[in-house]
Amino acid sequence: MADVAAVLSVSGLSLKPGATPFDLSIRRGEIVGLAGLDGHGQDAFIETLAGLRAPVTGEVRAPLSGHAITSFRRAVASGIAYLPRDRRATGIFPSMSILDNFAIATVGRDRRLGLISRAERRKRYDYYRERLAIVAPDPSHPITTLSGGNQQKVLLARALAHKPDVLLLNDPTRGVDIATRRVLYAVFRELAQEGMALVVLSTEIEEALVLCDRILVFREQELAAPLEGDARSSERIIATMFGRAA
Amino acid sequence: MTAAVTTSRAEGGRLPALKALWRQTGFAPLLFVILLVINIAINPARFAPGAWGTLIGLAAPLIGAAIASAPAILGGRGGIDISVGPIMGFVNAIVVLVLVQKLGLTSPFVVVGSAILIGAAVGALNGFLATILRIQPIVATLGTYLLLVGTTLTILPAPTGTVPVWLKALGGPLSILPLGAVFLAWFLIRRLPYYDHLMAVGSDDRAAYTAGIPVTLVRFLSYVITGVFAGVAGLMMTALIGSADPAIGPTYTLIAISAVALGGVSLAGGRGGLVGAAIGAIDIFLLQSALTFFNFSTFVLQIAYGAILVIAIVLTALQDRWLGRAREGR
Repeated sequence: MADVAAVLSVSGLSLKPGATPFDLSIRRGEIVGLAGLDGHGQDAFIETLAGLRAPVTGEVRAPLSGHAITSFRRAVASGIAYLPRDRRATGIFPSMSILDNFAIATVGRDRRLGLISRAERRKRYDYYRERLAIVAPDPSHPITTLSGGNQQKVLLARALAHKPDVLLLNDPTRGVDIATRRVLYAVFRELAQEGMALVVLSTEIEEALVLCDRILVFREQELAAPLEGDARSSERIIATMFGRAA
Repeated sequence: MTAAVTTSRAEGGRLPALKALWRQTGFAPLLFVILLVINIAINPARFAPGAWGTLIGLAAPLIGAAIASAPAILGGRGGIDISVGPIMGFVNAIVVLVLVQKLGLTSPFVVVGSAILIGAAVGALNGFLATILRIQPIVATLGTYLLLVGTTLTILPAPTGTVPVWLKALGGPLSILPLGAVFLAWFLIRRLPYYDHLMAVGSDDRAAYTAGIPVTLVRFLSYVITGVFAGVAGLMMTALIGSADPAIGPTYTLIAISAVALGGVSLAGGRGGLVGAAIGAIDIFLLQSALTFFNFSTFVLQIAYGAILVIAIVLTALQDRWLGRAREGR
């Protein structure tokens, strides 16, 4: 843990009783991919990083604030933002407007003299709308009037509004069209360049290969292999996913 | 769900405020206009500007009870406070019997302060039961309901007492003051981060949790706000009846919930507002007033409430479906 650039460090973590524990640190400006067959631990891992799930053994720590991530609120306070996977069930508020959906996690920042200022909120939203190229004619419309890709961008804007050090993305491009994906990839790279660490759970190997500097492949609730540099190839990833030595 | 949904619609731009009101309150404002016209036609003297103080004083307890019922309901997941009526009755008994009659305390600060404190305390108890112990809200507040009704009847078995002059005035010429105060308080709450959190929790609590909202705290506070508003509604009722009466308070509970539903507040939470609840209450009051004018019995009144409520809720559901279809058709 001498790594000064680490923004998230994992020590002795295991995701199920009896699994081999592993250590890991995630550095500033790095995009880390999580891969694996569905239900092999990558989901549990990203939720553990977000404080939504308690680790079986070991701990997750945010070296910058020095706190162990024991709850979701602690994670938020330590500069970790999380974009959930199931947009419909745990992401959007269907009855609320685009603007309110964006601001809901960070409403405290719209305050002027203690009261909410709509203008301030609009200003914050406009910044992210431009940056993420959100196509939405009127932010006061319900969020359900947007396409899936644009809803996802609004949720991403909600997470980014925390100005996090670490952004955890649980399958961010699921059900998102190609054009929007390109925009999202460009934004992710830009964010990493600015020093943010990103952890991307992806169900598509190509996506992980295109986007990530390091790919962690999970198998049977264990970290099967961290693949870095030239070791990242789709054959290696697939072989590791299925537990075949490559 | 593709990117083809981006074209804006021309008609969305016209009269957005009216449209928002329509979406939020449904048919209650329409019913309000119709009932008001009928009432003015059949009983002009009662609705003349000079009589407004008395008129508002007459309607105030019901409006207050409806407004009080709304915050807990907005919090969603079955949130409801059926102890609003008994809180009003309890405040009535404490103010008249204990403060004014026994202790001789008639200062507005003491009376208003204790009404708010009693409301907040009962609201906190309800909130504790419903959100921290996680007893179903309707059962938890039913417990409080019975507790308060019993206590009120024990200390005040029969109607008695008088109220200070200033309080009497709040039921007549100055009747707009307490209502105005409640609305001002709500207007301020609406501008706090808390309001957004409440609506988000009511809309979808799982999404609220993953957005980092302290769901339990938000719901707990909604019960406290409901309690405080119910305490103030108890004062309005005391001002109106000018004495202590153990039987009147509890009757407001169900009718207030009807008013809230009529005003377009979704009992599933996250939709509607206090203005809608107030309009729903005014509708019921106007209906009451029109039917009483024709000497209908109170039994017929109940039938009318029930019918109006069911019709309004069916219409709101149809409106929802229609709006939903229009949205998908884009």
